[in-house]
Amino acid sequence: MAEAHVIGQIIGATGFSESSLFCKWGIHTGAAWKLLSGVREGQTQVDTPQVGDMAYWCHPIDLHFATKGLQGWPRLHLQVWSQDSFGRCQLAGYGFCHVPSSPGTHQLDCPTWRPLGSWREQLARAFVGGGPQLLHADTIYSGADRYRLHTAAGGTVRLELGLLLRHFDRYGVEC
Amino acid sequence: MNPREEKVSIITEESTANDEDAEVGRREKSSKVQRQQRKKQPPRADSEEMVTGKAQPGQEEPEMHLLSMPARRGPRSLPPIPSMSRTGFAEFSMRERLREKLQAARSKAESALLQEIPTPRPRRLRSPSEKELETEFGPEPCKESQATSHRNDSQSYSRVKFHDAVQKIKSKPQAPPGFPSAEEAYNFFTFSFDPEPEEPTVKARAKNRDGTHQEEEGEEESPAGGMNKMVLNVIARAGTPQKDEEELLGSQDAKDFLLGLDPAPDEFVVVRPAEYEGTHTWLEKEKELLFFPSRRAVPTWKKLPENVQPRFLEDEGLYTGARPEVARAQQNVVENRLLRQEPERKWFGDDGRILALPSPIKPFSSRPRPLAQEPSAQAGLETHYKKAVKYVHRTQHVVGSADPPGSFQLDIDISGLIFTHHPCFSREHVLAAKLAQLYDQYLARHQRSKAKFLTDKLQALRNAVQTGLYPEKPHQSLDATQKTIKEYKSEIRETRKLRDAEQEKDRTLLKTIVKVWKEMKSLREFQRFTNTPLKLVLRKEKVDQKADEEAYEAEIQAEISELMEEHTEEYEQRLGEYRASYQQWKAWKKAQKAKKKKKKQAEEHPEGEAEEELYPGEEPVKPIPPELLDHAVLEQQARERAAHSRRRPGEPVLLPELSLTGSVTPDDQCPRAEVLRREDVKRRSVYLKVLFNSKEVSRTVSRQLGADFCVHFGQIFNLQIFNWPESLTLQVYETVGHSSTTLLAEVFLPIPETTTVTRRAPVEEVEFSSSQHVTLDHEGVGSGVPFSFEADGSNQLILMTSGRVSHSVAWATGDNGTPLIPPPSQQSLGFRSALKRADAISSIGTSGLTDMKKLAKWAAESKLDPNDPNNAPLMQLISIATSGESYVPDFFRLEQLQQEFNFVTSEELNRSKRFRLLCLRSQEVPEFRNYKQIPAYDREILEKVFQDYEKRLRDKSVIETKDHIDTHRAIVAKYLQQVRESVVNRFLIAKHHFLLSDLVVEEEVPNMSILGLSLFKLAEQKRPLRPRRKGRKKVTAQNLSDGDIKLLVNICRAYDIPVRKPPASKSQQPARSSRTFSDRHAASPGAHSPPHSPDTPLSQVSVRPFVEVSFQRTICHTTTAEGPNPSWNEELEFPFRAPNGDYSTASLQSVKDDVFINIFDEVLHDILEDDRERGSGIHTRIERHWLGCVKIPFSTIYSQARIDGTFKINTPPVLLGYSKERNVLLERGLDSVRSLSEGSYLTLFITIEPQLVPGESVREKTSDLLKKFDSQEDEKLLQATEKFQAECALKFPTRQCLTTVTDISGKTVFVTRYLKPLNPPEELLNVYPNNPQATAELVARYVSLIPFLPDTVSFAGICDLWSTSDQFLDLLAGDEEEHAVLLCDYFLFLGKKAWLVMGNAIPEGPTAYVLTWEQNHYLIWNPCSGHFYAQFDTFCPLKSVSCLIGPDNIWFNIQQYDSPLRINFDVTKPKLWKSFFSRSLPYPGLSSVQPEELIYQRTDKAAAAELQDRIEKMLKEKIMDWRPRHLTRWNRHCTSTLRHFLPLLERSQGEDVEDEHRAELQKQLGDYRFSGFPLHMPYSEVKPLIEAVYSTGVHNTDVPNVEFALAVYIHPYPKNVLSVWIYVASLIRNR
Repeated sequence: MAEAHVIGQIIGATGFSESSLFCKWGIHTGAAWKLLSGVREGQTQVDTPQVGDMAYWCHPIDLHFATKGLQGWPRLHLQVWSQDSFGRCQLAGYGFCHVPSSPGTHQLDCPTWRPLGSWREQLARAFVGGGPQLLHADTIYSGADRYRLHTAAGGTVRLELGLLLRHFDRYGVEC
Repeated sequence: MNPREEKVSIITEESTANDEDAEVGRREKSSKVQRQQRKKQPPRADSEEMVTGKAQPGQEEPEMHLLSMPARRGPRSLPPIPSMSRTGFAEFSMRERLREKLQAARSKAESALLQEIPTPRPRRLRSPSEKELETEFGPEPCKESQATSHRNDSQSYSRVKFHDAVQKIKSKPQAPPGFPSAEEAYNFFTFSFDPEPEEPTVKARAKNRDGTHQEEEGEEESPAGGMNKMVLNVIARAGTPQKDEEELLGSQDAKDFLLGLDPAPDEFVVVRPAEYEGTHTWLEKEKELLFFPSRRAVPTWKKLPENVQPRFLEDEGLYTGARPEVARAQQNVVENRLLRQEPERKWFGDDGRILALPSPIKPFSSRPRPLAQEPSAQAGLETHYKKAVKYVHRTQHVVGSADPPGSFQLDIDISGLIFTHHPCFSREHVLAAKLAQLYDQYLARHQRSKAKFLTDKLQALRNAVQTGLYPEKPHQSLDATQKTIKEYKSEIRETRKLRDAEQEKDRTLLKTIVKVWKEMKSLREFQRFTNTPLKLVLRKEKVDQKADEEAYEAEIQAEISELMEEHTEEYEQRLGEYRASYQQWKAWKKAQKAKKKKKKQAEEHPEGEAEEELYPGEEPVKPIPPELLDHAVLEQQARERAAHSRRRPGEPVLLPELSLTGSVTPDDQCPRAEVLRREDVKRRSVYLKVLFNSKEVSRTVSRQLGADFCVHFGQIFNLQIFNWPESLTLQVYETVGHSSTTLLAEVFLPIPETTTVTRRAPVEEVEFSSSQHVTLDHEGVGSGVPFSFEADGSNQLILMTSGRVSHSVAWATGDNGTPLIPPPSQQSLGFRSALKRADAISSIGTSGLTDMKKLAKWAAESKLDPNDPNNAPLMQLISIATSGESYVPDFFRLEQLQQEFNFVTSEELNRSKRFRLLCLRSQEVPEFRNYKQIPAYDREILEKVFQDYEKRLRDKSVIETKDHIDTHRAIVAKYLQQVRESVVNRFLIAKHHFLLSDLVVEEEVPNMSILGLSLFKLAEQKRPLRPRRKGRKKVTAQNLSDGDIKLLVNICRAYDIPVRKPPASKSQQPARSSRTFSDRHAASPGAHSPPHSPDTPLSQVSVRPFVEVSFQRTICHTTTAEGPNPSWNEELEFPFRAPNGDYSTASLQSVKDDVFINIFDEVLHDILEDDRERGSGIHTRIERHWLGCVKIPFSTIYSQARIDGTFKINTPPVLLGYSKERNVLLERGLDSVRSLSEGSYLTLFITIEPQLVPGESVREKTSDLLKKFDSQEDEKLLQATEKFQAECALKFPTRQCLTTVTDISGKTVFVTRYLKPLNPPEELLNVYPNNPQATAELVARYVSLIPFLPDTVSFAGICDLWSTSDQFLDLLAGDEEEHAVLLCDYFLFLGKKAWLVMGNAIPEGPTAYVLTWEQNHYLIWNPCSGHFYAQFDTFCPLKSVSCLIGPDNIWFNIQQYDSPLRINFDVTKPKLWKSFFSRSLPYPGLSSVQPEELIYQRTDKAAAAELQDRIEKMLKEKIMDWRPRHLTRWNRHCTSTLRHFLPLLERSQGEDVEDEHRAELQKQLGDYRFSGFPLHMPYSEVKPLIEAVYSTGVHNTDVPNVEFALAVYIHPYPKNVLSVWIYVASLIRNR
């Protein structure tokens, strides 16, 4: 009956070649975890950095979990998208990171990647936008034979997550 | 000569050449030691080596001793010291080294020779000598001196020696080769080998080279030969004595060479032929040594032990596995070899083949596939190139929604329909259907031929038992054999029984077929025509009588013997039992006898009696010995059975064949009834509707019914689906001629497994049947009615219409072959793995394998071979199933080891109150939506928090009648609740969409015009004479809390307030105290009133009205004004509290509170008791008399943001003590128009502070979605509506254009479908049969009596749903549209021209009215109140008209003005009205969604009466409750009077009764001061009634002797519409 409260924000992203970025995020947990309140997934606004190359979203994340076990610790997956001048959106990177397991505030950097695709697709991406996307988004965090996937590095998403744990010590979990 | 020999010869040549060289060298160097020559002499290399091997150690040993250190340090490092000893050392070392070199050179030369690389040798060898020369440079002088002395003798000596040697060679070598002679040995030990070691080597090298180039021999003689410069150098340095010696040597050498070498080959070398062994010899030799196994197959007997037959395990049914593939020849070779090698035959199995493990090779290759095929192999990692697309906001918040929605497709292939019974079947058809069915059955059975299979099985089993009884393999344990035989036998028994049953079935089936066919034939003969082409042919197959008989007999014999065996077995068993029991019995008997004896003794000894009692006297029965059954009896039994179920021997085999070759009698030869039937059949056609999730998605074409009652459709419907299929239904419709269609039956199709995809799905047949009863007047037998084949009508049959639909349902496959199957649940929360989903479904959903127990049972029964690896998983399962007995896990774990590491169980987690509360709060369950601060510990949460919620969940299905007085309404309320919930759920997602304006407040950037205006504003008046209301800033309903919102009500003025009437009884002088204060007060201004009021100029009374506004039980009132047209101009302020403190838009929209605006007359009563005090004090009591009320729902205020206008005050039909007639006179004709209208009016302005953004209906946000997907309308029509709406909105953005509406199930429906003539209740039509206007009014009244419930309230502001009229009447609640639609439909039925008017009215806002065209003018009807207004009525609440809707068209108002006063309602003028259907888009004839006709049930009068009593009682209680501090007395007399009066009011609809009524009352209650009024309302619930009574404030008197009267009357209208009249009055006795 331990509880975990994840409060934080997706601060922003750096290092992307694209400029107008937004981020879709979601939290995936194991079966032992139960979401008491908060939304599991969301999406930030589009930010076009004026100064520097960091896009700031400061998107709040507030989730309250109850858990009956440690397995399936919450993990965060991110999709960074960019919006071009025509208002079209295309994928800029997939990212994944675990929610920290110790209480307190954590600064996280989540590097991202995106599928490369064939040369034709790369060419198309360079000129007309769009790009290859994963058909099944859960490949981001479930990895089977990922070597088949050819990817290119995207930028980094910066997160600040605060974690409040409750009653974990009651079950012998020190944190 | 083969190559080998050649090589050998070359080597020998080389060696000889080598030898020659050596020889030459020896001859050249006379100083060469004897020993060395000796060594070289023998031609054989080995002997030479032996000698050297022998000699060298001896030579080297001393050297090693002497020189070990210096030699190692190397001569170069030594300083050139000219000492003797040094020189000796140096020479030693040098010599030593030279020898080594020589040795090395020789061995090298040999190896080089062997390698046939002679050329590089000289060069190589030269370099060391060079080196040595250099190093030797220093010590040369002394060396030379010494060397010369030595050399002289040694040279002379050597020359002698040489001669000897030559001579020796020339003669004959005496000593055997390899053994040194005595002389040599002596020489060896005595000679010192000091001098010239280098020279000979150099020479030898030179010579050697010469040897190789023999033709250049001549050059050798000149010492200055170009090639040997170095040699010459050495010689030059060596000094003169060497020189002549050289010359000597040279000449000598040449001579010797020529002399000695020429004859040498003859002497040393023997030429032999190359050794060669012929192939034959080889082979023969090999044959002796080698063994070639034969490639021929080995006979089996060789491989097996003596007298053992090969045994094939596979044939015995054991699994042996596939042997690896080895070529036959190979196998034979191995077998032969093994036979030879290991005679024990342990390598051979029982079947005479080599033992082999099953093939270890995987059936598939494990090499990674080539890269090209990758993407298709890995579906999970597939990427998909997406074009950069414009943002679709609908999917924005779903991360995982990569798949485009709607890519799921279900293919439904409907191939045809066959009726197995149809009302139009003739008797013959019935038989034919039966026959066909039987024949089908027969064919199916025949195909399966179970009997034959069982017979074969029986045979096989018998054989097995035969072989098993006499086993050939003695090694099998006897036990096992016995056991198997036993099993076999039991199986034989089973099989035999089964076979007998099968055979019998076959036979009876055949018999039945024949019987039906005979019946059919007789029927055809009887009726003298044929209807069906069916024809049965029985083909006889002759059988060999004799063989057949034999087989038959054999079979019977076998059976008998088996039976016999069984019986004997049984007999044995029984006998055993019998014996055992007999023994027992005997023992008992004995004991008994003994006892008896004892008894006898006991008679003598009385203590024995106790013992006797211990054996209670249950006497075992003497067992009966079993009987052995007679063989004959058994035989008879068996024969009987056989005769019964089997074909008799010799009887021909009958094979029925059904063909359609028969001819049908043409129509003209048939009797009339039959012709009629056939015509009827032809008129009929059938089509199927496809219903997906109980919504019609498509239908097949209508096909005519064939004479054979088959319909072929052959249509495939591709359903693009969005929701998970819940039901899939086919509805079979039949059309007869051109009349209406009837639903025959519904066929429920199973939803295909996710594994079934198109092209793999089999065509299946589903049977359907209908329960309809059809009786036909022709030959057709009808359906559901009894008919008979017999002439006398006996043996009746009742057949129902039935048939089969052949269809196939499957999931479609996409372009890339992926099945388009939606995830199992569309409402999956959060993330769900797409892969997992698919897998789980495919693995769990696969039919058949799910029931573990069944599977285990089957596996146990089918006796699977446990060794077969194919069965391994099954065997594991079986072992689980059998070992665990009852425990078969009916699940498998996705996350293993999860449970073991869990902190708590999930039950415990769910039990946590805190978590539950948190969850419920976040789910926005109404009870917990705004719950704040949930306690941190479970113990702090009270259990009762959940009580309400749980109760609500429980009560969902239970209909509570407590709150609702009559049951129908309770049911309706429940239903409404359910509809509401479903609608709320449907729109829950849509509700969470935010628009930009919800989130971002953006101040508009001021543009030029705004700036200009604001500049202009500077110049405007500070205090304008006519102030206007300014727009306020809007506030989104978010972070608001209690007290933030205020409701502002501005009461401006009122018109035509009824004025007091003087007490009517003139005759009676009113008591002094009853003279009202105001009477006197009003008397003075009354003077100016015109004197034409005839009766009482003095008692001229006015009215002192004030307004009391109550909202959420907060009450404010204005000051009191005077006169019938008062002006207050007062603003009242009310705090607003949202329910549960939830200020969200949705919650605000669903606020049900009303603003009650009541107008009262303030009456002052002088209650001064004593006239003497009149001068000094005033003692009055204020009484308030209710005059009327205006009720405005809060939802209207909220959605309108403000309400501004003049409203009609709802005054009661009878207002005792007040009148309005006088007003007309008083008005002095100032406002004649107004005075014409009855009633009083109140001007109001209501708004909310701060201004809230009205919640937009979700319909607007989701309209695209709804229109596209949730509609059955034609796509073109929908497009046209969109276009039309867009055009209209462009021209007049404020006018609402309505083309499509949402019906109660959420589908979009074209609005004209709602309008259709519908019958009003008969009762109403019969009231005024000759007065259409009165009927219309009555109908309008009826409609207005249906309670009003705004959609925003019922559906929480979600959308405007239009229910059809029957739904509306069932629900008995609806808003303006439903009322208007119903009223319009009634008017259409009454033959009026009627339209629906969409427009704005006060106070409703956007609403629907009804417009009718009476002879020469238009009437506007308010459907909710039942009132009607002429077009030019100023007080018509309808303020603007935006469009008109007729039953077949929509007209949009494109006139400049939209006020009904100023517009023309002539819709035929296209300049004024833009019509939807025009010439370009003609009206397609849309069918109506309304029912054919409305059915009205009479309302139960008794129930109404009961309800009336209950309401009355309840209201009385309420009034008493509201007066907690006073005694409430009820005047029974008055109450009964009022009760009589109310039905009158109902009859007259509250008009024109006042005077009689007053007189009546006056008569009855002479000495009471009476104030009261009847209230009239439609009945929906009790609560509004109570509210209404409360708002009148009748109870608010504190006159001590006040009495009350309250009467309730309910008039029932059809369909449970109730009109409620409540008469409340307060009476004060006049003293």
